[in-house]
Amino acid sequence: MGQLFLEFLSNTGFALADYRHFIMILIGIIFIYLGIAKHYEPLLLVPIGFGILVGNIPVFKGLGLGIYEDNSVLHYLYMGVTSGVYPPLIFLGIGALTDFSTMLARPMLMLLGAAAQMGIFLTFLGALALGFAPNEAAAIGIIGGADGPTAIFLTAKLAPHLIGPIAVAAYSYMALVPVIQPPIMKLLTSRKERLIRMEEPREVSKREKIIFPILGFLLCCFLAPAALPLLGMLFFGNLLKECVVAERLAQAARTSVIDTVTILLGLTVGASTQADVFLTPQSVGIFILGATAFGIATASGVIFAKIMNLFLKAKINPLLGAAGVSAVPDSARVVQMVGQAEDPNNFLLMHAMAPNISGVIGSAIGAGILWSFVG
Amino acid sequence: MYGLENISAHNGWAISLVGITIVFTGLTLLSLTIAQLHKILDLWENKDKYINNRNHKTLTSTPADVAPQPGMPAENLEDIHQYKLIVDRLEQPFSLPKLLDIAVKIGLERPHSTINKLLVKKIIVSDGKGYFIWKLQF
Repeated sequence: MGQLFLEFLSNTGFALADYRHFIMILIGIIFIYLGIAKHYEPLLLVPIGFGILVGNIPVFKGLGLGIYEDNSVLHYLYMGVTSGVYPPLIFLGIGALTDFSTMLARPMLMLLGAAAQMGIFLTFLGALALGFAPNEAAAIGIIGGADGPTAIFLTAKLAPHLIGPIAVAAYSYMALVPVIQPPIMKLLTSRKERLIRMEEPREVSKREKIIFPILGFLLCCFLAPAALPLLGMLFFGNLLKECVVAERLAQAARTSVIDTVTILLGLTVGASTQADVFLTPQSVGIFILGATAFGIATASGVIFAKIMNLFLKAKINPLLGAAGVSAVPDSARVVQMVGQAEDPNNFLLMHAMAPNISGVIGSAIGAGILWSFVG
Repeated sequence: MYGLENISAHNGWAISLVGITIVFTGLTLLSLTIAQLHKILDLWENKDKYINNRNHKTLTSTPADVAPQPGMPAENLEDIHQYKLIVDRLEQPFSLPKLLDIAVKIGLERPHSTINKLLVKKIIVSDGKGYFIWKLQF
C-alpha cells in the first residue's frame, strides 16, 4: 500500500513540476487578471489564460492528456488550430459583426490600413536578420498585422511549432494596444494635428453595402488568392449580415459560431504554451519582434496619414493612421481616446473604424502573400 | 546566418517590397472601386432621368438655323413642331407672352421650360424691339 501511495505521489503534478511550469502558470494568471480586472480583451485573454493553466499542469507522457499527444482530447481540439480551421470561422463571425459603412463612405481612409501593414514586412525583415528561417520570419512578421486569427492561420501553415508563442504574443499585444499605441501616436503628431476634426461621412445605401462584400471578395482574392480562406469567410459573413434575407445565418455566425470557436481557439492556444516548448530563447525573440511589429505598424499608419495630408485639401486627423493596425475595434477606440484627450468634442471613433477594418483586409492579404512566397 | 546576409540570402528585400506593394495595390484598387460604386449605383437608379437630360442636351445643341437631324429625339422634335404650328398662326415677329399664353391654353406640357429651351437654342430669337422671330426652318 505504501508503494502504491508513493507511486501516486510521484505521478502528481507537484512531483513532476519544475520552475518553468510555475512561470507559465503565473503568466496564465496574469492573463486572466488582465482580462477580468483590466478588461483588456477579456474574450480572448480569459480563455487563453485558462488554457495556459491547462497546458502547464505537469502530466506524465503516454497517458493521452497533453495537447501534443496524438490521442488526447486537447489534441483533437487543437487540430482546429493546426489545420487552420478556426481562424476562417472567426473571420466569418467578424464579417457578420462588422459594419463597413464608414469605410464605404470614405474609401480613401483604406490606404491607412494598407500603410500599417508595413509592420508585417519590416518585422519579417527583422526576424530574418535575427536568424529565423523564412517561414518562421513570415509567421513572426504577421504579428505586426495585429490580427490574432490571421497570425494563427499563417503560423499554422508556415511554422506550426511556433503557434504558442506567436499566438500569445499577438493576443498579448492586441490586449495591450491601449498601452503600446498612445505614446507612439503622441510622439509622431502635434497637438494641432490631433485636434483636426473629420468631415461627416456620407450616408451609404443598403445596395452599396450588399454589393461591397461580393466586389471586395472578388477583387482581393483575384489579386491575392492565398488570402481566400480568410477573406472569403470575412466577406461571406458580411454578405450574410447585409443581405438581410439570411439574418438567421448572420445571427448564428456573429454569436454561436464565433463564440464557440473563440473558446476553443483561446483554450487550445493557451494550452499549447507548455513550459518546455514555450520558454525558449526563440520565444523571447518573438516577443521582442512582436512589440517592434506593433510599434512599426502604428508609426507607419500615422506617418502615412501625415503624408496624405500634404496632398489633401480637407485634412485627415493623423491619429486615424494608428487604427490601421487591425486590432478591431481596440485600436479605433485608442484613436478616439487620444483624440478626445485633446478635444472632448472630437469624435473620431466612427472615422477610425474605416482604417481599422481595412487593416483586417490588408493583414489577410499580407498573410496570403507571405504564405504564397515562403510556404 | 544573421543580419543583412540572412535577409539577402532568403530574398527578404524582394519579398517585403513586393508584399507591401501588393497590399497597397489591393487596397488602393478596392478603395477606387468603392469610391465609384455609389456613383455607378446612382447612375443606374436614375438612368431614366439621365437619359432625359441627355435628350434635352441634344435638343439644346441643335443649331438655330439648321433643320433638326433625323437622329433627334422624337419628343423634342414634337415640341418644336407644336410651337412652330402656334408661331405660324401668329404674325412674325410675335410676342413671347402671347406664345406662352396659347401654349398654356392648349395644354402643352412644361411651356415655360420648353420656350426657354427654344430661346437658349436660338430657335426663337429676339428682334431687338421686344418681339421674337422663329428662326428654325424645316
